[in-house]
Amino acid sequence: MSVWNYVVTAHKPTSVTHSCVGNFTSPQQLNLIVAKCTRIEIHLLTPQGLQPMVDVPIYGRIATLELFRPHNETQDFLFIATERYKFCVLQWDGEKSELLTRAMGDVSDRIGRPTDNGQIGIIDPDCRLIGLHLYDGLFKVIPFDNKGQLKEAFNIRLEELQVLDIKFLYGCVKPTIVVLYQDNKDARHVKTYEVALKDKDFVEGPWSQNNLDNGAGLLIPVPAPLGGVIIIGEETIVYCNANATFKAIPIKQSIIRAYGRVDPDGSRYLLGDNTGILHLLVLTHERERVTGLKIEYLGETSIASSISYLDNGVVYVGSRFGDSQLVKLNLQADANGSYVEVLERYVNLGPIVDFCVVDLDRQGQGQVVTCSGAFKDGSLRVVRNGIGINEQASVELQGIKGLWSLKSSFNDPYDMYLVVSFISETRFLAMNMEDELEETEIEGFDAQTQTLFCQNAISDLLIQVTANSVRLVSCTSRELVDQWNAPEGFSVNVASANVSQVLLATGGGHLVYLEIRDSKLVEVKHIQLEHEISCVDLNPIGENPQYSSLAAVGMWTDISVRILSLPDLELIRKENLGGEIVPRSVLLCTLEGISYLLCAVGDGHLFSFLLNASTGELTDRKKVSLGTQPISLRTFSSKGTTHVFASSDRPTVIYSSNKKLLYSNVNLKEVNHILAIAKEGELSIGTIDDIQKLHIRTIPLNEQARRICHQEQSRTLAFCSFKHNQISIEESEIHYVRLLDHQTFEFLSTHPLDQYEHGCSIISCSFSDDNNVYYCVGTAYVLPEENEPTKGRILVFAVEDGRLQLIVEKETKGAVYSLNAFNGKLLAAINQKIQLYKWMLREDGSHELQSECGHHGHILALYTQTRGDFIVVGDLMKSISLLVYKHEESAIEELARDYNANWMSAVEMLDDEIYVGAENNYNLFTVRKNSDAATDEERGRLEVVGEYHLGEFVNRFRHGSLVMRLPDSEMGQIPTVIFGTINGVIGIIASLPHDQYVFLEKLQSTLVKFIKGVGNLSHEQWRSFHNDKKMSEARSFLDGDLIESFLDLSRSKMEEVSKGMGVSVEELSKRVEELTRLH
Amino acid sequence: MGSPMGNWPSYNPHSFSQVVPADPSAQPSNVTPATYIATHRTDPPPGQVITTDPKNILLRHFYQKSEEKLRPKRAAPDNLTPQNNGKQPRGPVADDGGSQASGRS
Repeated sequence: MSVWNYVVTAHKPTSVTHSCVGNFTSPQQLNLIVAKCTRIEIHLLTPQGLQPMVDVPIYGRIATLELFRPHNETQDFLFIATERYKFCVLQWDGEKSELLTRAMGDVSDRIGRPTDNGQIGIIDPDCRLIGLHLYDGLFKVIPFDNKGQLKEAFNIRLEELQVLDIKFLYGCVKPTIVVLYQDNKDARHVKTYEVALKDKDFVEGPWSQNNLDNGAGLLIPVPAPLGGVIIIGEETIVYCNANATFKAIPIKQSIIRAYGRVDPDGSRYLLGDNTGILHLLVLTHERERVTGLKIEYLGETSIASSISYLDNGVVYVGSRFGDSQLVKLNLQADANGSYVEVLERYVNLGPIVDFCVVDLDRQGQGQVVTCSGAFKDGSLRVVRNGIGINEQASVELQGIKGLWSLKSSFNDPYDMYLVVSFISETRFLAMNMEDELEETEIEGFDAQTQTLFCQNAISDLLIQVTANSVRLVSCTSRELVDQWNAPEGFSVNVASANVSQVLLATGGGHLVYLEIRDSKLVEVKHIQLEHEISCVDLNPIGENPQYSSLAAVGMWTDISVRILSLPDLELIRKENLGGEIVPRSVLLCTLEGISYLLCAVGDGHLFSFLLNASTGELTDRKKVSLGTQPISLRTFSSKGTTHVFASSDRPTVIYSSNKKLLYSNVNLKEVNHILAIAKEGELSIGTIDDIQKLHIRTIPLNEQARRICHQEQSRTLAFCSFKHNQISIEESEIHYVRLLDHQTFEFLSTHPLDQYEHGCSIISCSFSDDNNVYYCVGTAYVLPEENEPTKGRILVFAVEDGRLQLIVEKETKGAVYSLNAFNGKLLAAINQKIQLYKWMLREDGSHELQSECGHHGHILALYTQTRGDFIVVGDLMKSISLLVYKHEESAIEELARDYNANWMSAVEMLDDEIYVGAENNYNLFTVRKNSDAATDEERGRLEVVGEYHLGEFVNRFRHGSLVMRLPDSEMGQIPTVIFGTINGVIGIIASLPHDQYVFLEKLQSTLVKFIKGVGNLSHEQWRSFHNDKKMSEARSFLDGDLIESFLDLSRSKMEEVSKGMGVSVEELSKRVEELTRLH
Repeated sequence: MGSPMGNWPSYNPHSFSQVVPADPSAQPSNVTPATYIATHRTDPPPGQVITTDPKNILLRHFYQKSEEKLRPKRAAPDNLTPQNNGKQPRGPVADDGGSQASGRS
């Protein structure tokens, strides 16, 4: 790998942090707006459910998201503030479907201690000001003028230093905030302040309330006319207001962090707690006076981070810890006493605490298995690229040359026959009454020769094209109805047909066009082209699904593809493909209402053109490489949508998403022909997955998995997990090591750990002089009275008969944060120390772990990676250091370190020299070993060579790839590292050759001029390395998400970019498309 | 008041009227809408790039106090109401502001 890295998102963040509802896209439309850390999604409420409209990347981590309606506006505006103290106000322009920036700015202060409890951003219900609490002891005000424009912001000193929540009260003459805070004796109180905008100061507010619940953490302001505020504690819920009304109810102990208002008058609220229980809080009132509080159990959802009441009893539950949900509140409880019915679940991989890359087929294409979710919403998620075929049946059949499916009558919804063509015969399979496939006969068909094409036709007919003839057979009698014979001395080479037309080519460039009229084959036109014909197609793309007015023909010799009109076979367009490779398959198709001509050539490349169906004009030529062997193209339909299957050595589904052609590889080894799929020497029938790029399968655990690893030899996965056990008030956790089958994900075995013992690390490894493969688990005893664990264990398990068998255990003097297989030994990171263990055979034949040597000098050695004799350590707060194991001296010594104070969250060695680290301010950086430096001092320093703000908290790096790597393609040579983050992002770091990096860097800086940050937020600032101590421009890292958005630009913008780069649009698209195939 | 359930607010009676609950055993949906790309101008209207008043809070209080002190002097000759009457309402505000400023800074 190299210093020149390209970072791109393979799976976008899915963890929901905020949500809100309002009329954003038009005064009549109701929208749900969801924030997923660095992105917002805008949905529309429709009769069918939530309709996703757009996904907006934000150059910042969203800290606050609020909709508000300025005076005299008919639509809501969106206020977004980011964790790096930028804010913007967005408005949707319905005419152009654009997000306009109404205001933006920087609200940072030079001096100030960032708040511990997160940033607070609130908007006065009467739209007089925006309030921000970003630094302890300061309240920032951005006032609105009377035209709804924002004015210069100012700070007000806030006496309360430990603020838990601030909200604006409704119905106050002067803007009034209510502050929930903790005093220096840890007691919690609320207090109100009026904001005097003219004096730029606070005035003591109308009321306060001291000594609240010790767990009070959330304020809910109640709209006028009731007014006042609800204070949510861990054991009580309190309502109070300016008239000294004070109502309280006790609740079962829980932590409530999410609420959603149901009624506009504020009489009912939905509350979501930390165990995923949804409650309804009711304010009973008489006229305008609150008379009491009531709380009702509604049911269970994912653990909510945000709750938005949508419409008609339907609620959006956003979650950080599990899948977000759309739920309906029913009037009657179901059998389990739940009023909640889940309508829809939205996948969330976050938090990805750990993952492993499993390459089941050993083809270089990994599937990622993540430890996702938290608490009861914990799960394993199997993420893989490409479309899967779930095999239903398969038979061994050698030498299949072609395969078609036929229906038993024209209007049947399902296929009945399979026509399997071999080099010198054709066989017919049919479904029998028992849904079994058995061989049958279609009398009218010629079974003694290879079939070139088969098709159902109008009037309940079947068409068979062979080298000698075209046969028309009745569906009902299965007997020959009509026949067209190839002229003497000529044989049909290629053919295509639709329900009413047949086009075939014989040697000598003869092209014959037949139509089916009154159950007869009528030769309508015959022409001779100047070269031999290599492929033909007449798939209808016009308005008439039964008749095509265009045909596509691929040619030998001049390597062209031609569009001919039907029925007269006039040449409309000729497109030279260039090169020397003959087109082997052409296809006319319409995807998402756009017509295309696809043309596959013999070396696995595919050309795509936009086709004007009325004029036959071809535009927007693109070339991609799908494989290395000739491709055969065919359309198919899945869930009512048409897609294209390209069968070759690397089968691919071509589909259209947002009017763009996308290619998704199919997880099959080699496919010659499809519908049912003929693999090399095998015929299989399967159902196809949903057509999309990444596929995610969920294995719910109902507990949280923390570490996972794969063991190929035993065909298992093992993971450490824990479960909360709430017995009465006492909360306890039980930790486990569990074993799963790596293919079926069936639970095989469980090993419970001791009381207080946590699983901290797990690897699969083998030792010198022992052929067995073991799972090694590192643990820590986390005792309530200890700050750092002082005791742990290393457990060595063997998998025997699908069970975890504890072979050896070794006590350690601290938490075993990391384990690595190292030179046939075991390397462990234990608190401050790196420790190496030998695997020793005892006299009785059993083994033990024996300490060999170690290395001190870390704060906490949390992450270790090894390569040869080198060890890279990621420290809790001392960045990355490099150690080496010296065999002769049997010692581990430090070679070099990075002297920056980075708090690490993950490390990986990209190669012998370059190491990548992620730290807790959401940055990535690379360091380089300076082994050639002149002085010891320089050699002892890891040089920081790359810096980048990812904006995501990375928990793990792993070498591997989500896509199949073709060894002969340029992209196949690019090494990649996968990472997983708290927000559920799966990303790729690809190390590029220097010249490609330079090219893409130029493209990136050109793109920044054309692709603006939403809300005018700056891309350069967003990607700059940023922590408490410093900020520096991103270097040696490229933003792949920005670069790949080139492909989403309109043609005219692409041309502008191309002009700026001095490179043709086609070349740019090709190079960027290649990059998209890295993930 | 009867059951607190039901009577859920309705803004558009058609919303969600045709929703079919997803099969609980099905995998959660994983649909991301089209990514928005801003190729248009994103700069805000003039005057709407907001910054924070750079004046220190303490200095701001001093200036405010001095302005308040200046104001009654100029107003006094035109004001015919008795002096103590004019002072009283202003007094507590000024005092309060002053004590807050000194108390906090």
